[in-house]
Amino acid sequence: MTGRPDVPPLAAISRIRNAQRIVAVEEEGERAGLRGGQSLSDARALAPDLDSFDHDAEADMALLTSVAIWCDRYTPLVAIDQPSDAIAGGCGGLFLDISGCVHLFGGEQAMLDDVTARLRGAGFAAQAAIADTAGAAWAAARYGDRRIVEPGDQLTALGGLPLAALRLDPDCIDMLGKLGLRTIGCIADLPRAPLAARFGAQLLRRLDQALGREEEVIQPRLPTAELSSEKIFAEPIALQEDIERTIGLLAANLQPLMDARQVGARRLELRLFRVDGKVAAIEVRSAGPVRTPDRIQMLFRERIAGFHEDLDAGFGFDLIRLNVLESQERLARQDDLVAGGDAHEAFDSLVDRLGARLGVDRVLRFASADTHIPERSFGLVSAAGDRPDSSGFAVAAEAPCVLTRPLLLFDRPEPVEAIAEAPDGPPVRFRWRRAVYRIVRSEGPERIGAQWWLEGRGGRSRDYYRVEDDEGHRFWIFRHGLFGSETTHPKWYMHGLFA
Amino acid sequence: MRRDQAKQTIGILRDAVAGIDRRHAGVGGAAWTDGSADGGVGFGFPPLDDVFEGGFPAHALHEIRCPLTRDISAATGFLAAVLVACLKDRQGPVVWIADPAARLESGEIFPAGLSMFGVDPSRLLVIHPAELKSALWASDEAAGCHDLAAVIFHLRGNPGLCDMTATRRLMMKARDSRVFACILRQAGEEEASAVATRWRVQARPSLADAIFEGGIGPLRLDLALERNRHGRTGQWAIVWNHRSRRFEQVPTHFVDRPALPFDRSHGAPQKGQVVALDRAS
Repeated sequence: MTGRPDVPPLAAISRIRNAQRIVAVEEEGERAGLRGGQSLSDARALAPDLDSFDHDAEADMALLTSVAIWCDRYTPLVAIDQPSDAIAGGCGGLFLDISGCVHLFGGEQAMLDDVTARLRGAGFAAQAAIADTAGAAWAAARYGDRRIVEPGDQLTALGGLPLAALRLDPDCIDMLGKLGLRTIGCIADLPRAPLAARFGAQLLRRLDQALGREEEVIQPRLPTAELSSEKIFAEPIALQEDIERTIGLLAANLQPLMDARQVGARRLELRLFRVDGKVAAIEVRSAGPVRTPDRIQMLFRERIAGFHEDLDAGFGFDLIRLNVLESQERLARQDDLVAGGDAHEAFDSLVDRLGARLGVDRVLRFASADTHIPERSFGLVSAAGDRPDSSGFAVAAEAPCVLTRPLLLFDRPEPVEAIAEAPDGPPVRFRWRRAVYRIVRSEGPERIGAQWWLEGRGGRSRDYYRVEDDEGHRFWIFRHGLFGSETTHPKWYMHGLFA
Repeated sequence: MRRDQAKQTIGILRDAVAGIDRRHAGVGGAAWTDGSADGGVGFGFPPLDDVFEGGFPAHALHEIRCPLTRDISAATGFLAAVLVACLKDRQGPVVWIADPAARLESGEIFPAGLSMFGVDPSRLLVIHPAELKSALWASDEAAGCHDLAAVIFHLRGNPGLCDMTATRRLMMKARDSRVFACILRQAGEEEASAVATRWRVQARPSLADAIFEGGIGPLRLDLALERNRHGRTGQWAIVWNHRSRRFEQVPTHFVDRPALPFDRSHGAPQKGQVVALDRAS
């Protein structure tokens, strides 16, 4: 952060090792000799007018994450380097794996300049470096004078840097310092076994990682998209129609790639990079593999229409990327000469549109479950998921003699006040939803036992009755618990309505 | 804008005039010529089939309503019975759109019960929109999809959104894409709309079961065809025989009171109003 003229320096403080210590300080304060880790009383001695506030680690992390999201514009592999007290200088940062991306930005130097210039433009005091290894880049960004470390040149570039550049424990650095070992060059060629015995394996691991003797894997924040296509705009775009046209263009770029792999997209993501650094992500799912630009365009159109407000374009988007997050194999299909196309194309497209506009969890199909408890015997699952060959339901060719199951079911049985013969007679009259029903006919009971293998001993059985009142309304009503053996005051519930 | 409205009004009036003309020409005289009468479905029940020349015009928008919430199961039963007839020779899924307000009172469709009735639940695509506006949008989209066999739009009461314009659009889409579209209106009044037929359903006490004397007999309904663009209206007391999956006449000696005149929807006005009483405790 740049200093503010005419105001005292500002520091974020936190309680570390039983003292109020500085976590971060303004540039202005650094000039006065303040630095991180200093206790607040020491700092006040140096700068009596120091202004301080409590450090908010979560807000820091959120800010770092938002920068990481923004960095997706350079490479899909962005990892967050978590801030840590256990590392000297571990104030957090980002690792960007730029293998294979450099040429898109006109070389390493141009890319580095672009990153730092844009971040500085957004108000960050950003430092960046490019190197073969994550460790070397970490060191060069914080302590180095060369921003780009040539391939294989880590030792000469880092040799003169202090040991703190190795992401080490501060105590370990102190101990090494007492022995006169202050730079990376000092320990690089020392015999390894005594070093490891004296200072632990971590020292050598960090050294090897920095110098490229040992592989270090960064953990990207997001899984990489299977396929991705993007467009950078010299002039930011903001109009809905422009965005839609761009989606079409990007989808058209993806189509040959998907065709070559014989896949279609099941889950797509659109990332809109706003000029001011905000990144919006819109995700859509489809019922079947889609590949044509107009289907993809339609999915996003419905999804955006499903938001109750327009996309907040701000000053416009300067980069739009379309990712295929999940794909499915498409069988190379021979089109029917007569019908001329897929028989279910229109239905799949309908499911996609409904899912995109209303949300995939609102477009459902029945799935059966292996239980005899009525409300759990079926489920409504998203129709956008894989469609099984059989849902477990069938219509018997021979119609049943008695309709034993209602047409409408309450997923939570509703309590009723019923008058019934003890111990196990059907209800004579009951009150449900503040109305009284007089039972004329009844059939039952049908006993459905509790699932003792799931619920344990305490579960109560249900005695279901099919009843009809004097006006011809039919109900599925049950007594919860057997009179005598399970309860003395069985409760009655309304569970369904028969036609 | 005003011009459009005027055009629409004229269109509605023309429809009404055409309807009157047809009625005067008699049932047999005027064939419905714009092709909407295709998709004729037979119920296998002469009193109902006689009303529709060339079969029940399934590829159109229909409405089944029950004035009271407690009759929703009877109305759903009648709809399921109509679905059985419509889906007999028709492949394709059924989209069932349930308005949240209606679902709250009526519960969910129970697949086990539906399959006993004769409709395959695996053909159902159930839509649970968050509000009525998106429910209407979803029915509009579904009615335009020619892969479907049927679209059911379950709603409650008479919301202003589902007006003449909306039903007209649904009607035209259903006709063009040859889909059976039906509004299932729970606790709703009669209202002007563009539906081809409108049925009023009321549950009646069942008759003794043929097999089990003391048990509950098959579904018995008071059915009124309140509106029919293709011919006569009428009123019947019918029974849905779930074993043969057809409608049947109620045996005459069981008719315990004369049927109401069909053009009078509520019969004699009730004295006072029926209100729900508060809980005693």
